Amino acid sequence: MTKQRIRHALVSALALSVMGAPGAFAQTDAQKALAGREIRFLQPSMPQFAALGKFIPEFQEKYGIKVTVDEIPFDQYRQKSLVEMQQGTGTYDIYAVDVMWLAEYAAAGFLQPLMPYVKNPNLTDEGYDIDDFLPRVISGTGVYNDTLYTIPLGAGPVGTTFRKDVAEAAGIQMPKRFSPEFTTDFMYKAAEKVHKPESGMIGFAQMPGRWFWGVTYLPYLYAFQTPKTKGDEYVDKNWRITINNKQTIDSIDYFVKFKKFMPADSANWGIGEATAVYQSGNAFGLWNYQDFIKGFFEDPNAQKAVAGKNVHLHTPAGPHGVIDPWFGAWSFGLSKDSTKKEAAWVFIQWMTSKKIQERATEFGAGPSRHSTYKSVTLAKFQPWWVDVYEFMLKETNPDERIRVPEWAEISDIMGEEGSRVWIGEINSATAVENMQKRMSAVMRRGGYYVPGRTDLPPQHWRDLSYYDRLPSTWK
Amino acid sequence: MTQPVRAFGARTILSHGGGDVAVSRHEIERMTHIKTIADAPLSPAEPAEGRRRGIWSRLGPSNPAVFPWVLMAPTLIVLFAIGVYPFLYALYIAGHNVILSKPYVPRFFVGLYQYQAVIQDPEFWSALKTTIWFTVQAVFIEFWLGLGLALLFQRRLLGAGIMRVFILIPMILPPLVAALIWRYMFYPGAGLVTYYGGGVTRALGWGEIPFLSDPTIAFHTLVFVDVWEWTPFMFLMMSAGLASIPRQPYEAAEIDGASAWRVFWTITMPLLRPAMLIAVVIRTMDAFRTYELIVVMTRGGPGNATTTLNVYLTKTGLEFFDASKAAAISLVMMMVIIVMSFVFIRALRSRTETAE
Repeated sequence: MTKQRIRHALVSALALSVMGAPGAFAQTDAQKALAGREIRFLQPSMPQFAALGKFIPEFQEKYGIKVTVDEIPFDQYRQKSLVEMQQGTGTYDIYAVDVMWLAEYAAAGFLQPLMPYVKNPNLTDEGYDIDDFLPRVISGTGVYNDTLYTIPLGAGPVGTTFRKDVAEAAGIQMPKRFSPEFTTDFMYKAAEKVHKPESGMIGFAQMPGRWFWGVTYLPYLYAFQTPKTKGDEYVDKNWRITINNKQTIDSIDYFVKFKKFMPADSANWGIGEATAVYQSGNAFGLWNYQDFIKGFFEDPNAQKAVAGKNVHLHTPAGPHGVIDPWFGAWSFGLSKDSTKKEAAWVFIQWMTSKKIQERATEFGAGPSRHSTYKSVTLAKFQPWWVDVYEFMLKETNPDERIRVPEWAEISDIMGEEGSRVWIGEINSATAVENMQKRMSAVMRRGGYYVPGRTDLPPQHWRDLSYYDRLPSTWK
Repeated sequence: MTQPVRAFGARTILSHGGGDVAVSRHEIERMTHIKTIADAPLSPAEPAEGRRRGIWSRLGPSNPAVFPWVLMAPTLIVLFAIGVYPFLYALYIAGHNVILSKPYVPRFFVGLYQYQAVIQDPEFWSALKTTIWFTVQAVFIEFWLGLGLALLFQRRLLGAGIMRVFILIPMILPPLVAALIWRYMFYPGAGLVTYYGGGVTRALGWGEIPFLSDPTIAFHTLVFVDVWEWTPFMFLMMSAGLASIPRQPYEAAEIDGASAWRVFWTITMPLLRPAMLIAVVIRTMDAFRTYELIVVMTRGGPGNATTTLNVYLTKTGLEFFDASKAAAISLVMMMVIIVMSFVFIRALRSRTETAE
């Protein structure tokens, strides 16, 4: 009996060690042959990349491939990556790709299609299971012209974070995530109620800096749409700019109303400034991105003033009950000019494998696989993700911001004109008139209005079933 | 004694006591018993070393027509590589439609379209106005502060050496570092200036000063930081200029009993003009191109209140990757700088000539 128990224990221990070991899957000969290579990876400075970075030593040890990571501040990342890509020197083998820049990178031919690598059993670990990724997440993040160019390392919505304890002290019952009770009106009134700058608590830390409008104002642009105007926020079916309308004016006015809660010197505030104020315990609420929550607000060692005291909600529903279907994601893209594509792919597939994706959630990385969403690790370390699963599966819209190579200019125009409203230089009606004219000029220069043009890009946001295809069916 | 003086066609002119006589080659050979090789073909068997020596001697100091060019060649090559070629290439790019992030767009000649696009862009005019206003304010203040400090340091001051070092520190700092230091000094609510300055202004009932958030105040905050950084340069140039003025005119003015004010305007200022000219032209060109300070502190905002031409150019070239429009902007900027420098030089030179 004792012998049998010992035997069972040994077998169980062996099985557990094999299952739990980092190198559970045996390396193929092709992977072994890549030992000694050195690859370079360009990434922005963000919590989710920091979380994944913890696993690089383990990868290097397992595969013998050296990984050098260069990190660039988020707001300079697109510029740096595009400069590197268009030079075509292959300095970087892997680029972090934001969902908004995929069209620009892929259309220019800077990225290598990945499906041939995914389906290559010599380079991809057994059990990689591409179909484990949420369809809308992988296709929304990495597919351009029916071709898979990048693999997501995390995708999520933007939302809002509030101090639960401050709300309770003020007698405010904060709604649950995605609750229809959480409206723009509710949010403003709650901020107004707790706003006591003389006691060091501002109602809301907005991010009105010119560069940030393209991410922090947009949830309100969507929230103020009517069910009828949804989908026509920027352009109509013929790619004519439609920004000059009542919904845009109302959403800008709503966003600027929060100036009342902000210190005088805040017109240039971005994520850094607003987050710092919140982290120091001096703001009731602020904008957030799902992947930042762990690193920015819930790390008990780094954010002692606020960790554990927060409630994380979606962005509020507008006057007509519309909520922002925001889809934010970062992914790994393989450089077309890389001379070490195979080694780089081995790194990408390992970093986006089921095992690493799950383990990385402990340190703040977000999920993009079904298995990660359902894992105990995620529920334990980042419980605020659990109720996002259904939203990412069915509600989110990868084209919430129109993904065209002209987006950087469109976003900049929106930021500049919006910022001018914030500082009182112009009113919102003038701002949207200017946006209309300037965005139209950008689209005209992009060739969208060439008479007789028949190859205009498809507008997938009008039928999101395009993004719901099984991941393995992409080219 | 007969000496060959110069060759003249097929004949050589011989000079002797009785005057010049033209003689043929055959006559010279007959007189000297030396066979000339003027018409003989060069031997293919001539040693290579000899040929090389020939090339070097043709390029060497013995050839005054070529030798200066040989000496200047390295500089000219570098100037061509970093000045002339980029300029010509910018002209070429500005005449086409190159968008670096869209290599799939066919490239073709567009004539003056890019210049038209720049001139029709309201952001360009806003940026030009901001740039000129920034340059004029900053250089004006820096000039007078620099001159004032230089005049002050002409007197014997206790600890002048140490003070000079402290004055020069801002200029020694890399512009990016200086910009970062000031960014954190003005960091909303938590910077040294905003925290203590805000405390004082709040106590006085004025509320917080929006150093980087109000369009006008943000602009003047940037002018202030530029003045802090570059007044030392003016101080240095003015000090050098003052040191080069001879003592005699001052001694004569002292004997004549001229007032300090009169001495300053009639002796110091006219004699300092060459140094002033150089300092103002250099600083104007530099202030016109200010970039790091603005991008780090305000990123051209709020709105476009601090977007200068260089910020606008960089955004066009390195955010939108519109290389052709960016090239057109840079060429327009170059023209503006040339015109401004020309006007300065003419104005200051004419005043110097009038004074003389």
